[in-house]
Amino acid sequence: MLTKTFKRGVHPLHNMHEGKSATRDLPVREYVSDTVVISMAMNIGAPAKPCVKKGDHVDIGQVIGEAQGFMSVPVHASVSGEVVAVDSIPSLGAGNVQAVTIKNDFADTWVELHPLGNVEQVDPKAVIPAIQAAGITGMGGASFPTHVKLTFREGATCDTIVVNGAECETHLTADYRLMLEHSTRIVDGLRAVMRALNVPKGIIGIEDNKPEAIVAMEQACQGRAGVSVQPLKTKYPQGGEKQLIEAITGRQVPSGGLPIAAHVVVLNVGTCAAIADAVIDGKPLIQRICTVTGCVRKPSNLMVRIGTITEDIIGECGGYSETPGKIVFGGMMTGIAIPNDQMPVFKSSNGIVVLNEKQAKSKDESPCIHCGRCVAACPIGLNPYQIKVAADKSDFAAAEKLHVMDCILCGSCAYQCPSRRWLTPSFKFCKDHITAEAKAKAAASKPQPPSGDAARNAATSKDVDSMGKQSAGHASKQKGGATK
Amino acid sequence: MSEKKSLGKVFFNGIIPENPTFRLVLGTCPTLAVTSSALNGLGMGAAATFVLVCSNIAISLLRKFIPDQVRIPAFIVVICTFVTMVQLLMQAFLPSLYESLGIFIPLIVVNCIILARAEAFASKNPPLASACDGLGMGIGFTLALTLIGSIRELIGSGSIFGQNVLGASYEPMLLIVLASGGFLTFGLLLGVFNLIVKKIEKKNAAKEAQAA
Amino acid sequence: MSLRISTAPHMHNPLTTSRLMQNVCIALMPTVLVGVYAFGFPALMVLAVSVASAVVSEFLWQKIAHQPVRVNDFSAILTGLILGLNLPSTAPWWMAMVGSAFAIIVVKQLFGGLGDNFLNPALAARAVLLASWPVHMAASAYVKPTFFEAGVDAVSAATPLSSPGSYTLMQRLLGQIPGTIGEVSKIAILIGFLFLVCTSTISWRIPVVMVGSVYVFTLLIVGGGFESALIATLSGGVLFGAVFMATDYVTSPIRPVAQIIYAALIGLIIVLIRQFGNYPEGVTYGILLMNIATPLIDRFLPQKIYGYQKKEAKKA
Repeated sequence: MLTKTFKRGVHPLHNMHEGKSATRDLPVREYVSDTVVISMAMNIGAPAKPCVKKGDHVDIGQVIGEAQGFMSVPVHASVSGEVVAVDSIPSLGAGNVQAVTIKNDFADTWVELHPLGNVEQVDPKAVIPAIQAAGITGMGGASFPTHVKLTFREGATCDTIVVNGAECETHLTADYRLMLEHSTRIVDGLRAVMRALNVPKGIIGIEDNKPEAIVAMEQACQGRAGVSVQPLKTKYPQGGEKQLIEAITGRQVPSGGLPIAAHVVVLNVGTCAAIADAVIDGKPLIQRICTVTGCVRKPSNLMVRIGTITEDIIGECGGYSETPGKIVFGGMMTGIAIPNDQMPVFKSSNGIVVLNEKQAKSKDESPCIHCGRCVAACPIGLNPYQIKVAADKSDFAAAEKLHVMDCILCGSCAYQCPSRRWLTPSFKFCKDHITAEAKAKAAASKPQPPSGDAARNAATSKDVDSMGKQSAGHASKQKGGATK
Repeated sequence: MSEKKSLGKVFFNGIIPENPTFRLVLGTCPTLAVTSSALNGLGMGAAATFVLVCSNIAISLLRKFIPDQVRIPAFIVVICTFVTMVQLLMQAFLPSLYESLGIFIPLIVVNCIILARAEAFASKNPPLASACDGLGMGIGFTLALTLIGSIRELIGSGSIFGQNVLGASYEPMLLIVLASGGFLTFGLLLGVFNLIVKKIEKKNAAKEAQAA
Repeated sequence: MSLRISTAPHMHNPLTTSRLMQNVCIALMPTVLVGVYAFGFPALMVLAVSVASAVVSEFLWQKIAHQPVRVNDFSAILTGLILGLNLPSTAPWWMAMVGSAFAIIVVKQLFGGLGDNFLNPALAARAVLLASWPVHMAASAYVKPTFFEAGVDAVSAATPLSSPGSYTLMQRLLGQIPGTIGEVSKIAILIGFLFLVCTSTISWRIPVVMVGSVYVFTLLIVGGGFESALIATLSGGVLFGAVFMATDYVTSPIRPVAQIIYAALIGLIIVLIRQFGNYPEGVTYGILLMNIATPLIDRFLPQKIYGYQKKEAKKA
């Protein structure tokens, strides 16, 4: 098998099948809970505004949160039943976000759907509005609104759609199971996007630790125009947007730019499947596959409704097998530790990993010994140890000079560091600080008139990643791309 | 100078708060070169002190007659005179010390401390204050040089002022009397001295804060 | 239920600093064993004193300076061990003690402790001892190991560097030559090297390039044919220095190209000192000089960062 890859990177849990053996062979099982708590801030950009009130009856797929502008997506009811509360819940970032709580009546009644039919015959112009209406965001973890990603600035051209099936994060098998069980859907979604953007080539990149998925996807690609599978070397962060583009196309996204600057759009396999659902069946995004693993009695791949409470999911998986020390939404390298198990599942929650108390313990930083492991790991080619020195002194100018803004926060350096230095958290702090400072400066120099186009310009401007981190409470994760 | 300082303060200023070696880090060349023994340090210090006091007094007396534009050459001429006197005196009465100090005696002319005090103090102050300043600075320099010399001689030769103190079985650490040992000892003492001065300043600041 | 919240990543490579230091200590064990076997009890004594002194110095300094005590990270033990192996077995105990204390307090802690020293502590201490007590450090202090020659008392002998023809290649490999405790057996050093590379504690680059550079420059500058160059390369502390001292993380460059430049220049300096200098051996000074140059090499080597090549190509 001819595999491609990027430079440097790390191999977490390499001799333990990347921690995936517990769930990789378990078929996806559907789980619907009694109550769902649906957050209004599940995307990078403006949160949606609730449009139902306590006591309302809702059907599956009914809009319960209206998008606020272009850089925002609508939120839909994921179960049918009665709205029991519209209040605020703690977000994963700072502060609270609004959320709608629905009690499931298990009637499973749907709102009226408007399917567009076969993707090969659908009107190309209808695809992106359908995606927007379905509330689709990047399903790999970044939660970037997909319709924004597919709407380019004037003059930008795209010649390849790259589909991210790398799933380079440890422990997670959600994308793997999706590729095995719904391979045709993924190709359908990819074809819909290719037709909508008039792009001739679609490449699905899959790490070579998932040979079955490669075979399944290759079969699904047979007879479809312009789509192919590219096996990739198993290495973290292979699924990082920039790394994936480098591996598959040999191009590099210019510093500070979006993938479209390299004439590529990257979509996660989950996003493709959701696009297929939205186009073929007219169904909005109401459920997703979530890998539940770690210290649970019955690790599983669950098809859960958006808004299912973590505690219910853990219960469905047989409960905790040990006292939990930390619960991580997403993978171990970029996932977010949640404060309690009442947190609901978001559109981007591809996994829930429960760590025991021993695994959750964090060690103190010890002095840097200049071993160079961070430099050898950095997929961008930065000198993390030098940036850390600048960050520790809060010398943001020096950090910027050392290209901290090019850091993708993949965590490879911090993973490798034998002195357990908090490299990635420091860099995130630096990036947030520098972005906020630049923003404040821009705002002070010329107050921008709020226009309809502003959001769209912001979306395509260079600071898209960090901008989202501040506004979308919980969606802060990987820079612009879907590392998964 | 309108501000009148007590002569005692001017004198002590050179010994600890503005010690030329450890605080101002002036004249490090002779400091490193001649301090391989305590006696050399003392001799060098004494010679420099003599020149410092004499040149300070002379320059202070002449301060109103020296035009500003040519003051540096004028200072140097004054300093040269005294250095030559020291050199000849030493050659006559202390030939062995003169041998071991060698070139560093004539080089007192270019010792930064002397020119710096002439420029910074003597050219602006009356003769008595200048003499006190020169004496204080000179003694500070002498003490520093003797201290470095004693430590280097003790570790590097096992003796102080030529008197063996560590016994015959002691194997001297040659490095310390070599040039690199000079740097090492100087650096370490510099650190220790600054540590002590900082502690004293902190204490004084705390006392003042309490009094206020 | 109390959940811990922290930022990603949530897991780490199990390799820690102390584990890395332990790996180097383990890699030194064959050398230590051969050294002690070859030179007997005095060698053991020297090693024990230097390790103990290093650990005590580190502990006392960290106590006095009110720093967290990190004696258990094995770095002081390693420094003591490497210094001890750099001494001849006849070294007096107080010299090992002073050397270790100097390495830890002056070279390492005064410059900021682990990770901030600009010289390899053990090597700097060796240089100090060499300048301070040449009688105990120079070749005259080396004795022929009693290895395989039971019954023969340890006697002063010509070093392999000053009389190249007196020992065979095999004797050099096994360690039947006079020298410091650590440099006698090349095979033991190679076992340590393999262990370090296999556990990915160090990369092969610095040792291989440095030894290769000594060989090539000996051929070019000294001449005398391939075999005599090989013998010169296997003499003295080249191998020990290449594997255990030039590879010190703190004082060697990080990027691969920088490491190659660094190691090649060490080799050149060693050959120049051996051929034209006053000292018979130049490993110590070769490595120390390049330690000082390390930050320069690291800083001035161009860095290839993702996302910048294309822009430049466009501009051009």
